[in-house]
Amino acid sequence: MNNLCTPIDHVLSRRQLLGAAGATAGTLGLGGLLHPAVAEQMKRTEKQVLFIWIDGGMSQLESWDPKPKTRFGGPFRTIPTSVTGVHVSELMPRTAKIMHHLAVIRSLHTQDNSHSRGVNRVQRGDPKERGVTYPLFGSAVAKLMGPCSSGLPPYVWVKPGSGGFIHADAGFLGPKYGALALGDGQPPENMLLPEGITPEADRQRNAMREFVNKRYAERRRPGVSDASSYVFDTARTLMSRSELFDPSTVTESERERYGDHELGRHMLVGRRMLEAGVRFVKVNSYGWDTHGDNFNGHASLMPRFDQAFSAVIEDLADRGMLDNVLVIAMSEFGRTPRINGHIGRDHWPEAWSLAMAGCGLHKGIVIGKTNEEGTFVDSEEYDMGHLFHTWFHALGIDPHKTEYVNNGQPLPIAHDDHSPIKEVLS
Amino acid sequence: MFKRLAFSVCWISLAVVSAALLADEPLHVRIDALIQSQFKGPVSDLCDDATFMRRASLDFVGSIPNVSELRAFMASEEVDKREKLIDRLLDDERHPRHLANQFNIMLMERRGEHEQWLQFLTDAVAKNKPWDQIVREILAPDPSDEQSRGSAFFYTKRLERYGQNPDDMPGLVRDVGRMFLGIDVQCAQCHDHLFVDDYKQADWQGLFAFVGSTGIDTAKEFPAITEKPLLKKIEFASVFDAQPMSVGPRLPGLTEFAIPEFAKGEEYAVPPDRKTKEPGVPKFSTTKLLSQQLPSRELPAFSRNAVNRIWWMMMGRGLVEPLDMHHSDNPPSHPELLDLLGEAFVEHQYDIRWLVRQLALTRTYARSSVTTGASGDSASYQCATERRLSAEQLFDSILQATGATLTVDQRDDALKRFRDAFANPPKEPELEVNPTVKGALFLLNDDQIQRFLREGDLLHRVQEMSEARQQVEEIYLATLSRMPSDEELRLALEFIPVDKSNVAGNDPLHHLAWALLASTEFFVNH
Amino acid sequence: MKEILEPVEQCVITVDPQVGSAHFSECGRFLLAGSFDGRVRRWDVSDPQTPRELEAFTQHQAWVSPVVTRDGVAFSADSWGGVAAWRYDADGPQTLWSVEEAHDGWCRQLAITKDCLATCGRDQRIGLWNPADGNSIGELQGHENDIYSLAFHPSDSNLLASGDAKGIVKIWDLAARRCLRDLDASLLFTLHRLQDVGGVKCLTFDATGERLAACGTKPKNGGTVQGEPTIMIFDVATGQLKQTLFVGPSKDCYVHEMHFHSDGYIMAVTCGAAGTGRLLFQKLDAEKPFYASKKLINCHSLSRSPDGSRLAVTTTNRNSNGNGRRLDDDGQYEGNTTPIHMLSMPQSE
Repeated sequence: MNNLCTPIDHVLSRRQLLGAAGATAGTLGLGGLLHPAVAEQMKRTEKQVLFIWIDGGMSQLESWDPKPKTRFGGPFRTIPTSVTGVHVSELMPRTAKIMHHLAVIRSLHTQDNSHSRGVNRVQRGDPKERGVTYPLFGSAVAKLMGPCSSGLPPYVWVKPGSGGFIHADAGFLGPKYGALALGDGQPPENMLLPEGITPEADRQRNAMREFVNKRYAERRRPGVSDASSYVFDTARTLMSRSELFDPSTVTESERERYGDHELGRHMLVGRRMLEAGVRFVKVNSYGWDTHGDNFNGHASLMPRFDQAFSAVIEDLADRGMLDNVLVIAMSEFGRTPRINGHIGRDHWPEAWSLAMAGCGLHKGIVIGKTNEEGTFVDSEEYDMGHLFHTWFHALGIDPHKTEYVNNGQPLPIAHDDHSPIKEVLS
Repeated sequence: MFKRLAFSVCWISLAVVSAALLADEPLHVRIDALIQSQFKGPVSDLCDDATFMRRASLDFVGSIPNVSELRAFMASEEVDKREKLIDRLLDDERHPRHLANQFNIMLMERRGEHEQWLQFLTDAVAKNKPWDQIVREILAPDPSDEQSRGSAFFYTKRLERYGQNPDDMPGLVRDVGRMFLGIDVQCAQCHDHLFVDDYKQADWQGLFAFVGSTGIDTAKEFPAITEKPLLKKIEFASVFDAQPMSVGPRLPGLTEFAIPEFAKGEEYAVPPDRKTKEPGVPKFSTTKLLSQQLPSRELPAFSRNAVNRIWWMMMGRGLVEPLDMHHSDNPPSHPELLDLLGEAFVEHQYDIRWLVRQLALTRTYARSSVTTGASGDSASYQCATERRLSAEQLFDSILQATGATLTVDQRDDALKRFRDAFANPPKEPELEVNPTVKGALFLLNDDQIQRFLREGDLLHRVQEMSEARQQVEEIYLATLSRMPSDEELRLALEFIPVDKSNVAGNDPLHHLAWALLASTEFFVNH
Repeated sequence: MKEILEPVEQCVITVDPQVGSAHFSECGRFLLAGSFDGRVRRWDVSDPQTPRELEAFTQHQAWVSPVVTRDGVAFSADSWGGVAAWRYDADGPQTLWSVEEAHDGWCRQLAITKDCLATCGRDQRIGLWNPADGNSIGELQGHENDIYSLAFHPSDSNLLASGDAKGIVKIWDLAARRCLRDLDASLLFTLHRLQDVGGVKCLTFDATGERLAACGTKPKNGGTVQGEPTIMIFDVATGQLKQTLFVGPSKDCYVHEMHFHSDGYIMAVTCGAAGTGRLLFQKLDAEKPFYASKKLINCHSLSRSPDGSRLAVTTTNRNSNGNGRRLDDDGQYEGNTTPIHMLSMPQSE
């Protein structure tokens, strides 16, 4: 039997229902936030997120936190980076050259060593499992910041495999904050006008639709009409940007720089979505669960990640976008220092790393460290709550002033026990 | 009839007195008295006939009215035409399937469809089975009764493998509480609820004791469950203090059933049979006990939840919101009214047909959704709340509007596409109007809608008409179930000639009809 | 074929930390094993029951994968590209020569003849060295992938075989420094998402040099790699694939090392998921092994003593895997060990 509610360390403050009763009244609209003004303000600053999800668990020892010449260090060398004194694995030579843009944390210590729980806890930022289904980070940002002024959907997920509208990410925020998933980078269904309808006729029929809607909305409460207009506008904005999904608009040299592989192609789609004004882009890479043959696995996985990651950081930096785009590259956990019988590494939430960049985070720094053999954190440990606080802080959202309301229950957007990682924030 | 209801607001402001005075009046009169006694500030008018017919048709037969019915209703001068309409709709052959659809969506929350389950619900509505009987048949399905045994789907769907879990037993326990008692004890599974004092861990565990021994009877071709004997109390401990506790089958607020002891091998009234694959029937059947104790007068929560949910279906807002959070810190917006409805429902033997008819006769139901300045929030019922059309209602209404006819296979296929586009994901209650980008793209670009317009009878009918004005009016009546306003008519007439030069396939009438089908107004029950 | 009896265990040498492989010296008296900690461990195994560990060779910087011996000299290479030659039969290992950056990165495999030490690695190169002094005598270029395996022809020392990460096997003419032909062992490779999975883990000629076996797995997926352990046998003269042997279930995954036995069967070790893999003997025309150890798990190398009477198999301790924190009785984080199983082969009459 699964536990729908496993609040081992439930530390919900006993905020009383009555305090939030007013917020539940507007069941139809886009409500549910205590402080809509915050969301309004956010829209003007146009901060964006690129969330690179490395599903299965990248080895910190073969990437951000190498431990050469130690028992568990593995076969690879380390190389210097563009930041003096900072070394990374030889498997990421291009990333080494853009290290001065990055903030790497080597002292993550999270709670779960299974994928299903790890992915959920990490992406939901809910380290203590409060018994309600928290939104994944993308849905949280979609809710808290809304779409950018481009009018494109706020949460786009570029992923291998199938696409569609993925509601589950939104948790208790409700389906409308789910992801628009571009399966293998392809556009969603029904993006093209029906046969026989010219763009001009489409414009006219929509003008008529909007006219009828306007008359209707003028005489009604705003919630339903607003929500309805919003989705039609978003849908039509998407349709108007169909070139974003057209592979022929990508130059050959770009394709080569990002790499002719799944992650390279998808990262490039992700960059284009950011340029077009999508608020939150998740680019997903699967297949990192190297329980067996870890070193040969990372020998090909890492260079491909390295290529796509460094290309997107360079591009964002060149375009001046890195000031406003928060980039995060992470997995659900790291991999065990111990090397197992099939020369693999297993799941290791005890001491691992992630990389971030942009959006005002300090550049070219490494925060935290692990002990000599890389087995445990040897500085202050950071959990998901710390990361969520840090990210929200970088995006200009104050977790102390903003909270969710779920069925009348006020819930913090980042975990009460945790705080931002100060060393990384300007 | 309607004249009688034209109370002055001053008169009914003495709510308590008036309610007592009205004790002999029909329920709908007493409802209005209680609602209107709380009015503050401007109140919207009652809706016009066309809106009323659209609203009632959607509520009782799941589709907008056709043009001729609508014209006739608008033209009728009968004083009691609304009441007659309600009765006609209640007798309509589409009514049982529509209400069954509504119950299906509410009880299963899009976990999946099953024809025999829907048939059970349809049959229940057609026969006007009392709510307590329906719930009894759900909680203790009788595999030998072909008419009702589809009811087991409520259990079996939740006992199926779910994601990576072998079943969704916590979901089953939770939903017995949510659907039939209006309480969500999910968060009391591992400890007393953290912010609802009324919800105790023992409540969850007590409910679990009733249904925790069930499984799917996979040997049957129809939905059926197995039940093992409950031999001892459920042992549990709060994750906070780890104090060991135990509870037998117990409903919140009622006393626990003692678990009788049987000699080993004597636990079954009908022992399981490996050869026939019959699962057996325990002597101490907790599902049977649940089916007897839960849907009963002993448990006011049972009737209060039922009337609150039916009220929500008809009015767009529950007297208690959220629907599954009945507890002492979350009082109803109109406490006396909920008491009244609950008691009256019991007195009328849980008669759903009677209840929905009474609700439909209220002025509260007939209130317009057009605001008059500050009409108060939805909980005041001073202005009607816009309600969601289910994927099924939307589908049937678009078919009605376009006059498209489909074969059974085409229908199944098209309905599936509508569900994909407009239904919520599994386990997400469909409580709010939920416009989505996916739905918008479907309306904008899916060829389905275009095909209904091309192939349906509406545009053919309209093409025959000589006057543009007539054409526009017919399209408005067919889609939005009302006449166009002057301004709308003017715009539409402009729209038509301008585009007439266009090539075939860009028929302006076609686009006008589409624009109305894709409008917010069509998308909701307003 | 004569009756074959099961090999009998003589002793187990437990090595901490893990070693990648262990091989008999060409005289059969010593066992040499390259370790994950950079050492080359040495044992005198002349007494079958009581091996005696000798001083290790410690000149390497990083993981030592391959070790080969010839004429009293051991050649070893490490994952940072270093190659060393040292006398292994002395009481203390004596370095003869070393090249620090023989390769740019991981040197995967070595092969030796009287006149030539061949090395290969991640830099996609094959290096040729004078075994006497470590001077470069040339290199072979043509692979476009990480090169995993090497083998010299048993009688024609001018022929070298190499196999890479994508299942391409090349036969080289050393004198001409050119590739004679490519053999297609791409069955041993798949691209799964971003990962190159599989590759030629081991190349072995038969005693006559007519056949060449390329070993690995027929991979199904990356991440936690699964695939049937596979041996592809080619005709050296024509380059034709003669047969493909599957020697276990897909959980057993890789064939890490194999040998042709003169009695017409192959001996191989496999390693898949933790706790799987085995030592097995299988006739070439059979679908299943006629012998498979149950006791030996996660086997990474198989060495035969020169007279064929003994085997050394590197394995892994049980419960080597597991997610998350696991500490030993002293609260220390545990590593894994390599039990080296020393076996005697019953001699045929």
